[in-house]
This record gives sequence, structure tokens and C-alpha cells, in this order.
Amino acid sequence: MKEKPDILEVQNLSIGYGSNVISKDINFSLKKGEIVGLVGANGIGKSTLLRTITSMQPRISGDIFLKGQELSEFSSFQISLEMSVVLTEPPASKNLTVSEMVSLGRQPHTNWFGKLSQEDKEKIQTALELTETEELKNKRCYELSDGQMQKVAIARAIAQDTPIIILDEPTTHLDIYHRAYLLKLLVKLAEEKKKTILFSTHEVDLAIQMTHKMIVMKKDETLFGTPSELIKNKSFDSLFPSGTIKFDPDSGKFIIP
Amino acid sequence: MFYLRSLIFLLVFLLIFSCNQKEKKQDSSISSTESITLTHHASSFEIQDFGNYYIIEIKTPWPDSDKGFKYLLVREGVEVPGSENFDEVLQIPVKTIAVTSTTHIPSLEMLGVENALIGFPNPDFISSEKTRKRIKEGKIKDFGKNEDINTEILIELSPDVLVGFGMDGTNPSFPLIRKSGIPVLYNADWTETSPLGKAEWIKFFGVLFDKTEEAEEIFNDIVTQYNEAKALALQSKTKPTVISGAMYRDIWYVPQGNSWGARFIEDAHGDYLWKDSPGTGSLALNLEQVIEKGLEAEFWIGPGQFTSFSELKDASASYSKFEAFQNKNIFTYNLRKGEKGGSVYFELAPNRPDLVLKDMIKILHPELLEDYEPYFFDKLR
Amino acid sequence: MEKTKSYKTAFALLILALIITFLLNISLGSVSIPLNEIFSILTGNGASKKTWEHIILDYRVPKTIVAVMAGGGLAVSGLLMQTLFRNPLAGPFVLGISSGASLGVAFLILGASAIGGVFGNLLMNQWNIVLAAGLGSFLVLLAVLAASFKIRDTMTILIIGLMFGSVTTAIVSVLSYFSDAEQLQQYVFWSFGSLGNQSREGVGILFICLLTGLILSIFSSKSLNSLLLGENYARSMGLHIKRTTVIIILATSILAGSITAFAGPIAFVGLAVPHLVRQVFKTSDHFILMPAVLLSGSILMLICDTLAQLPFSTQTLPINAITSLVGAPVVIWLLVRKRKLFF
Repeated sequence: MKEKPDILEVQNLSIGYGSNVISKDINFSLKKGEIVGLVGANGIGKSTLLRTITSMQPRISGDIFLKGQELSEFSSFQISLEMSVVLTEPPASKNLTVSEMVSLGRQPHTNWFGKLSQEDKEKIQTALELTETEELKNKRCYELSDGQMQKVAIARAIAQDTPIIILDEPTTHLDIYHRAYLLKLLVKLAEEKKKTILFSTHEVDLAIQMTHKMIVMKKDETLFGTPSELIKNKSFDSLFPSGTIKFDPDSGKFIIP
Repeated sequence: MFYLRSLIFLLVFLLIFSCNQKEKKQDSSISSTESITLTHHASSFEIQDFGNYYIIEIKTPWPDSDKGFKYLLVREGVEVPGSENFDEVLQIPVKTIAVTSTTHIPSLEMLGVENALIGFPNPDFISSEKTRKRIKEGKIKDFGKNEDINTEILIELSPDVLVGFGMDGTNPSFPLIRKSGIPVLYNADWTETSPLGKAEWIKFFGVLFDKTEEAEEIFNDIVTQYNEAKALALQSKTKPTVISGAMYRDIWYVPQGNSWGARFIEDAHGDYLWKDSPGTGSLALNLEQVIEKGLEAEFWIGPGQFTSFSELKDASASYSKFEAFQNKNIFTYNLRKGEKGGSVYFELAPNRPDLVLKDMIKILHPELLEDYEPYFFDKLR
Repeated sequence: MEKTKSYKTAFALLILALIITFLLNISLGSVSIPLNEIFSILTGNGASKKTWEHIILDYRVPKTIVAVMAGGGLAVSGLLMQTLFRNPLAGPFVLGISSGASLGVAFLILGASAIGGVFGNLLMNQWNIVLAAGLGSFLVLLAVLAASFKIRDTMTILIIGLMFGSVTTAIVSVLSYFSDAEQLQQYVFWSFGSLGNQSREGVGILFICLLTGLILSIFSSKSLNSLLLGENYARSMGLHIKRTTVIIILATSILAGSITAFAGPIAFVGLAVPHLVRQVFKTSDHFILMPAVLLSGSILMLICDTLAQLPFSTQTLPINAITSLVGAPVVIWLLVRKRKLFF
């Protein structure tokens, strides 16, 4: 089988703030059409890693290659054509309508005056349909529930039409139905639309079920591989301090002994 | 012998007289280089009389100014080449005038041209009864303040000339007023520090109304009165010590030795305790410094804004320790007010230094002027 | 952004209101001039009194033009600051622009004696206040820009601007303490703000500055829309944050700085008009907001100036007093009615 090309490749990456290294020796690569989950304990640096590879914060050392080229050589604008994000922070202005917010996803593609072409409008429509938010089109963002807001944020990223979508804890604060719904949507985006999806989550069990590959951040190392490889290598055993919970390789879940 | 002397005297007299006549006969066509200087006491301005036209030079329009203003005032039909080099050119006599300081009013009244006044900023400040009557008759229009002239009203009023003053050259309304055809002249009487120099500004208005001779006459009379009073003061056997000013918040503002007010004390044969301080403004001193020098002064003239002994005592217990307070020898000009609260002193005193000096002599040496009633000063209540 | 509503009627009404308030402002003043005479003067046919021609053409028309420019310029710069700092309390002067101008003018008027008259005598003409104010704003702007280059966070820039404001106010206080009554009065009168008494050249220069600032603002509209989602999202959509911040700060400084240099510090308009427009238009799209704010700012300023002239009386009020007295209650009423700040 022909090897798919690397969309995003990370080598020997060290991340942190100033001289404070949070995590080092991070290596992984993402391919087209893959959905990858990023897991780890609270505060281990998942958000920091995502912010570093999207160029929102500087790395301490190491290499990041986007489509084979060093990330630091890209301008903000060029990056915006390749990567879009869904963050934990809400939008600064909650008075936007859903359709206005999703339309903002087309900013990298529109002209000086932000005029939406026919193609722009079609992409927006597709994004709304995929996330089933079309009926919310004219509602203001402050009128939405957490679940609806999350869907809208994803719709915006879809409208940006980038090969890579990066999501920071998209399922937190959602009930189990919406969690499942969202993850299925992400899988659909990867498999049908051939997008590369990287998302961080606390739902290790769901991630094991639904992702092609996983990045596991632990205190002293960061591991990368398929879920079954990681289970076989007992990578999840030391994810959390032992004693309180235990990883069960058969069910692929954490249980309380 | 007597006839020879009188003949020589007559010849000299005729010579002088004919010279004067010759200058007066000069005709209106060409600018002459012969002129008479009309001002002798003032240092802030100078008037040159060229017969058919006058040049007024304002040397110090405001303190520390490094440039002055030159105005050309011509009679009707007279052409003066080079007139574009002047800051203002206007025709005299003017028929209507707007002024901006109460010190301008007495000059107009003394010259008998007070009916020409058609505008003043905030006329409540004017004390003179003659002019107040005209204000009541609605003949004087209020056009705002000197710093914030209501341009529309002034343009509509359209006086032949506006006499203004400035702290510096930045009054925002003046350029527009001049643009609408109203000449603006800077009056600098307030920068003058010599008593007679200040009064000489009546000649400024004299030129505007083409009444230079009357102005000269009135001024000379004032000078004579002043000098007579000064000579009278010298006859006194005492030279009493004098302090001035009062505290505002913590600072006692004391007039400096060369200031206008201080000079009167000296000319009235008084010993102003800060006469050696150079400068024409005021010193900012604290209470201790004033007590050290002036606690035992015999007279206290001009105690700031205070008008009664009880007011002084309430303001600060220290005031009552002064000997002048205990002997009740404190005199103020703040008790003489116009109908709407304007200060008579601020309006008239600069123009009548003779009266100020006589007041001062009456205070310091009452025995020299027994029948004289002070014009500006009263003892504190 | 997708325009979900047609704003054509609203803009038509605004333009109509602008024309009406413009004519109203020219017609009313301390001196009452009949309307037919005004019309005659404006169409170049002169009037029965020469003084009326001077009043209308030399005093009122320049004043009205300055009011239009000042109102529009301040309102737009207020909008820029509110979006850049994502703070509804921001106005054109949060970066210390009016404080810098006040400091420059204070040095000129109050400090001349302290500096020994050297500086004060340098340019003793009608331009020295404009230059002093402009220089003051410019220096404060440089300081803020220098700070913003080193700092990534816009909140910090906001606080630095406010701190500069405090420092300059303190210096002005000290200068005031050592000044005499006439100097203080002159300074205080400057700080009241004044739209009138501008020369033709002054109006021309102000126009050029305004045009420059507006062009920069209009071209920042798309970036401002991105910033509505927050800096991180904006960056992910391709926005060059540092460059955008500098351009927006520059636009605000040119607009607010030039207006303050010529007309003195005019309060409230820059802060209130964007809020008023947002409440009425119910959108955050800067392509709609910017022209709406520009028109509304001019209209508000014209109304305030007309009121300040206290028509048919000899008194006038300072423009600053009117803008605050008129503007604040209107915003309060609007907020109480809507019970929520649309921001």
C-alpha cells in the first residue's frame, strides 16, 4: 500500500513558556484523512502542544513541518489556508449571529471588503449542513446552548476549508449524546472529506475507539501510535497515578478497582 | 539790559515757535522722517507724531515678549507709503470702539469720547457711573470674555477698532475678527510698571480719537499733581514701615520692590519692607518669612481680598499678631465697588496715579493732607 | 460577513439627518440672521449686510465643517479602540492622546514662565497651540507604540496608555500650581474645546489628517471583523496581529490627535457614538458600523454645537459640557431600555 504523504510532521519538539520546558522529545506525524486523538492528564501540556503547532505560541526547540516546509517560514495568512482551529475560549463577541460567525471562517478567502462569493456561500452552507446547525442560522451566539455553540465553532472551522482542523477539547462540557455526535462528525470529516483532524480530549476510551492514531502525553515522555499498538505497549497504564484507577486493556477503558 | 534780555528771549521764542509751525505745515503727500515723540514716561509703548499720521509702537505687548507691534494711524485722505509693513493700519478718528479692560474706560471718559464705546466683554465689571448709565440704556453690547470673545457678536457689532490685550499671541478670536475687517490693537498698559507710564496710555486713546492735544493736557496735569504730591511727601518727618499682600492658602504673595503698587509707597515717603526685592511681580513667601520681616510694620496696605478685621482673624490667628493689625492700621481698596461689583481701584487707579499717591500720603502722613478724602482706600472694617 | 439585513433605509435616514443638522448648525448662532439671507450667502449672492457675510462664510461655515470632521473622526477612532481592546469602555483617548495634547499645551501656556519664555516665544502665532498639542500627542503615541512592540498583550497596552494619561495629568497639575490666574484661565478655556475660530488652512490640514485616518480605518475593517472572535481565532484566520494593532493605533492617533490639536479635547463623542450605533443597527460588522458611526458622530457633534451656541442669546457654552450632558443620558436610557449592552 502506498504510504500517504505527511501533512504535518513534528520532530524532537520541546514546548513550554520562556525557559520553562513543559514537555520535550515530542515526535509524531499526521497524514491526510487521519483522525488523531491527543490525550494526557490535566495540565500535562495538551493545549500548549496544540497552540505550538498552530503557531499561536513559540516553540522552545525542535522542528515542525507543514506539507514538508518549516512552519516558521509560513505567514499567518499562509497558515490560515492550511490549518483551522476550534478553541476552548468562546468568541469575544457573543452578539454575532450563527451565520455571521460561520461566515467569518471564509476570511482567508475573501477580498479586502469581505465580500462573499458564490463559492464562499456554498462552503458556508455545507458547513451548516454538516454540523446540522442550519436552523440556528439567525440566532445570536448568546442564545445557544454549550452543545450548539460547539457545533457552530466547528462549522466555522469547516467553512475555512483547510486540510487540517485542530480542536482543543471539543467535547468538554457536553453530554454523552453530543460527545458521541461530535466525534462521529469528526470521523466523517476525516474519512469522507479527507481532512486531517487532531483533537485533544479527556475521553480516552472514546478516542481509542474512534481514532486512527493517538498521541499520549505523559510526565516523562510522549508516545505516538495506533490505539492497539499503544495498548499492547501498556502505554496507558502509567497515564495516571496508579492506585486510584486502572486501565483495562480488554475493554479499552479506565476502571475504578 | 532788560530790553536786551527780553529781545533775546523773544527771538528764541519766535525761533522755537516758527520751527513748530514749520513742522505743522508739512503737507500730506510724502512721508516725512521728522517726527515728534509724544511718550516720555512709558516704556511699554511709544507714539510718533508725523503731523498727519501717527505711528504707535507697542514694545512689550506681554511680559517676556520678543516682538512688538507697529500700528499706523492716518487721517482721512492721507497716503503713507510702506503702510503694508505695519501690523495694523487704521483711519482716525475712529467713531466707534470696543475695549476689553476696565482700565480703558477712564481714558475714554477723560477725553470725552465715552459715547463711542459700543462693546465690552462682561460689562458688569465696569464701575464708572457715567458708563454704567449707558450700559443700562443698552448702548454697550456684551461680547463674552477677552479669552473667549463671541466672534459672531463682535463681527455683527462692527466697531471701528477693537482694543484687546493678550498674554501671548494666541488669542484664537483675533485672526478671524481682523479678517472681517475690524482692526485689533494690543493694549499693553498692564505691562507698564511705572505709575506715570501707566497713566500715559491715555495718549494711546488720544491718537485713536485724534485728540492728542487734549490727551497731552490731561496727562500733564496728572504729572504735575503727582510731582507736587511727591514733593509734599518729602516734607514729612517720618518714614513709616509698610507691608502688603496676604496669604492665599499657604502662600503669602508679596509685591516685589519695583512693582507698580510698591512704587507708590516709596513716592509717598514710606518704607516698603521689600523695596529691595528686584522684579515687578510678586514674591511667593511663607508666613514665617513675612513675620520675620514685617511683624512690627506700622502699616499694612492692600491685604489681599480681606475687607474686615474679623475676616482676617478668622482666616488665620497669625494675622492678629501683626502690629499693624493691633493698631488697626490696615487699608484696603476692595471696599470701593461699582454698582455690579466691579473694582474702582482696578479701573481707575492705573489712570490716576496722582490720586493713588495722595491716598497713600493720607494714609502714611495724614497731617500733610488734612482736607483730603481718600479716593480708593479705606481702613479695614 | 454576510449581510443579512438591508441597511439602505437606515443609511438614507442618516444622510438626511446629516444634511438637516448641517444646515441647522449654519443657521443658528448668537446673531440671528434670516434664512433667506443665509441661503443667499451660501449660493454666492451676498447679503444685505456685509457683517452677515463675514459671520456665515468666515465663522459659521468653517465651524460647521470642523464639527462634521471632529464628530465623525472621534466616533470612528472610538470604534477602533473598542474593537481592538475588546472593551466597551474604551474611547479615542485611552492611549493617552488627549493627555499628551494637554501636556503640550500646558507646557506652552502654563510652563512658558517656568521654562523662561524661550520655548513660549518660539512660535508666537496662531499655530503654536496646534503644534504644541500635536507634538504632545505624537510623543505619547511614540511611547505607546514602543511599548506595544515589546508586548504581545493588548490589555497591557491599554493599561500603559491609561498610565501615561495619569502621569501627564500629574505634570499638568504641578504646572498649574505655579501659574497665575490669567494663564490658568487660558489653559482651562483651551481644555473646554472649541470648534470655531479655525483658519482656512487649519480646516484644510484637518481634512487631510481625517482622510488619512479614515482610509486606514476602512482598510482595517476586515481585520476588525476577525478580531470580533478574539485574538487567537483572528490569528488562525490569517490576521497579522502586530501589524494590524499598529495600523489601528496609528489610525486612531491621526484622527484623535489632529482633532484634539485643532479643537481641543472633546469628550464623550468617541466613546458613546459606537454604542449608540450598535444598539440601533444591531450588528458588529465593521463594514456597516464604520460608515454608520462616521455619519452619526458628525450628526451628534452638529447637534451639540448648535446647542452650545445657545442661539438667540449672547452667551455660549463650551462644547465639552454639551457633549457630555447630551450624550451620557442618551446612552444610559438606551441601555436601561435594552437591558443588555450589545457589544
